[in-house]
Amino acid sequence: MTAAVTTSRAEGGRLPALKALWRQTGFAPLLFVILLVINIAINPARFAPGAWGTLIGLAAPLIGAAIASAPAILGGRGGIDISVGPIMGFVNAIVVLVLVQKLGLTSPFVVVGSAILIGAAVGALNGFLATILRIQPIVATLGTYLLLVGTTLTILPAPTGTVPVWLKALGGPLSILPLGAVFLAWFLIRRLPYYDHLMAVGSDDRAAYTAGIPVTLVRFLSYVITGVFAGVAGLMMTALIGSADPAIGPTYTLIAISAVALGGVSLAGGRGGLVGAAIGAIDIFLLQSALTFFNFSTFVLQIAYGAILVIAIVLTALQDRWLGRAREGR
Amino acid sequence: MLRLGSDQSRVLGALLVAVLLHLAGTALIEGYSSAFSMRAMLVLASLLAIASIGQTLVVIIGGIDLSIPFVIGFANVVTAQLYGGGMDFWLVCGIVLALAAAIGGLNGLISSGLGLHPLIVTLGIGTIVQGSVLLWTGGFPSGSAPASVTEFVSIGGSVGPVPVPWLVPCFVALAAIVTVALARTPYGRRLFALGSNPRAAPLALINPVAMWTATFAISAVFAAVTGILLLGFTGSAYGEVGQPYLFQTIAAVVIGGTALVGGRGSYLGTVAGALVLTEINTLLIGLGLQPSLVQAVLGIVIVVLVSFYGRDAHVRTTI
Repeated sequence: MTAAVTTSRAEGGRLPALKALWRQTGFAPLLFVILLVINIAINPARFAPGAWGTLIGLAAPLIGAAIASAPAILGGRGGIDISVGPIMGFVNAIVVLVLVQKLGLTSPFVVVGSAILIGAAVGALNGFLATILRIQPIVATLGTYLLLVGTTLTILPAPTGTVPVWLKALGGPLSILPLGAVFLAWFLIRRLPYYDHLMAVGSDDRAAYTAGIPVTLVRFLSYVITGVFAGVAGLMMTALIGSADPAIGPTYTLIAISAVALGGVSLAGGRGGLVGAAIGAIDIFLLQSALTFFNFSTFVLQIAYGAILVIAIVLTALQDRWLGRAREGR
Repeated sequence: MLRLGSDQSRVLGALLVAVLLHLAGTALIEGYSSAFSMRAMLVLASLLAIASIGQTLVVIIGGIDLSIPFVIGFANVVTAQLYGGGMDFWLVCGIVLALAAAIGGLNGLISSGLGLHPLIVTLGIGTIVQGSVLLWTGGFPSGSAPASVTEFVSIGGSVGPVPVPWLVPCFVALAAIVTVALARTPYGRRLFALGSNPRAAPLALINPVAMWTATFAISAVFAAVTGILLLGFTGSAYGEVGQPYLFQTIAAVVIGGTALVGGRGSYLGTVAGALVLTEINTLLIGLGLQPSLVQAVLGIVIVVLVSFYGRDAHVRTTI
């Protein structure tokens, strides 16, 4: 399995780079192009180059949530973090309610620092539960999910508050900054041996273990990375909504996991990347955008969203088969 | 750390926790063991346990079913709508259960036929189902359940001299059937075989696709049954009525000692898990906690319980 990882990276030379992307992200990029063309055709004003900044701001929290969900899933053996949405909601509540409103701390260093710290702490808790205590990840993070949603609702029963000007600005075109920071962080992680270890563990943890890779530590860190990214995503969400709202965060969990799957990340681990997850998230955003324009009800939106998700993953599976790279197991 | 080996001890462990919780509740809260509160808990636990039948089977085969809440909502709304429109109740049930079986079968067919993760497949299909139902009713479902269903699940109902609604004895019979089916029928044997070793099972002439399709169909049918019962319980249709069951069915299964990796578990454990969850909920609300705090404590309790007897093996022991 480790060999498979290295070959697929080696193939990413010049022309095969496109092929590698196709293999890694499935139909998400194709869907992206189609949806973008449709959106531009039906609503030129909203999708004019001048408005792209606003669009990125609108899509940023979803992209952030999708990126955050990916590392834990890449670690394999049922690895998943369903508490990503609640982490975002919790960060939102702490930043607006505690830091800004109660303590009057509006400095970017304090706010960004605490968002990252909260994310890292929850991620470490998830990692401890899922890898050291070895509770099945979906149950472990379900525990964290309920804990965070409950705590958030207790300290913040109803939407309230405002955010500092600099943070509000990050909800617009400048949302490219936190997104860029996350991608830069992931780019750096990919340069580390850790990345190869993560993919090896995700592909076949038993082989990785016999090869001397510290499987538990690698998986633990994947949850911490997921937590940190989720903290940043929470900040992006705060910037976009400009207040504290306990209801919005948790809704990101399932949609983020859908985006990850749409982006060609295997839920069995060891396959896919954060770029795919981001493209998957943009696909979902574009889909929502196109359907809202036609003034379809949210019900149609839901059907279309479910249908596209199923069709896209089915096509990706068929494509795998045609390429003769049928995945082992699930 | 307490580590019990066999499945039986896991089930006993979960039952013990339920009993301890009940004793704690009786000691702390006045009226906790009153007839009314006991009946209410039995009804709620039965509903949860019926919704969890499918999740148990699906988890034993090595999958997971996130479409349960959507199918519950689907059955709830469609039954009310059709029955309210004047259709015969049993015909309505037949239609709803058949549609549910088709939805579940599709889940299993896509998941196993194409080797896709059931988590994402059931989520996608569930979303489509919910959207379709909402579209059909315009978001405002109407209609109601026949009085017989309401009486069947009513907390105040009674079976002859016994002061429990018919739901409870019927559920006990159902639980016995499921347990026997798992232990004694070819279907049950195949389910465990496929869950514990997906590659060896086909060599024993077990058809994985057929098994997955059938199991997910069964899961959806019991979710639909829950939806119809909930219609009688709450009195009016509500598309989101199934939402709490998304995570509760998984929690009940896991607290009951069924491993999410497949091949191991029992329905009695799930029943114990459903009892534990119902006891915790009642206890915490009885102690006067806000619903939001109840949720937070529930999260901690699930993790603590599962860490006692639901832990995975270390990778070194799987080689």
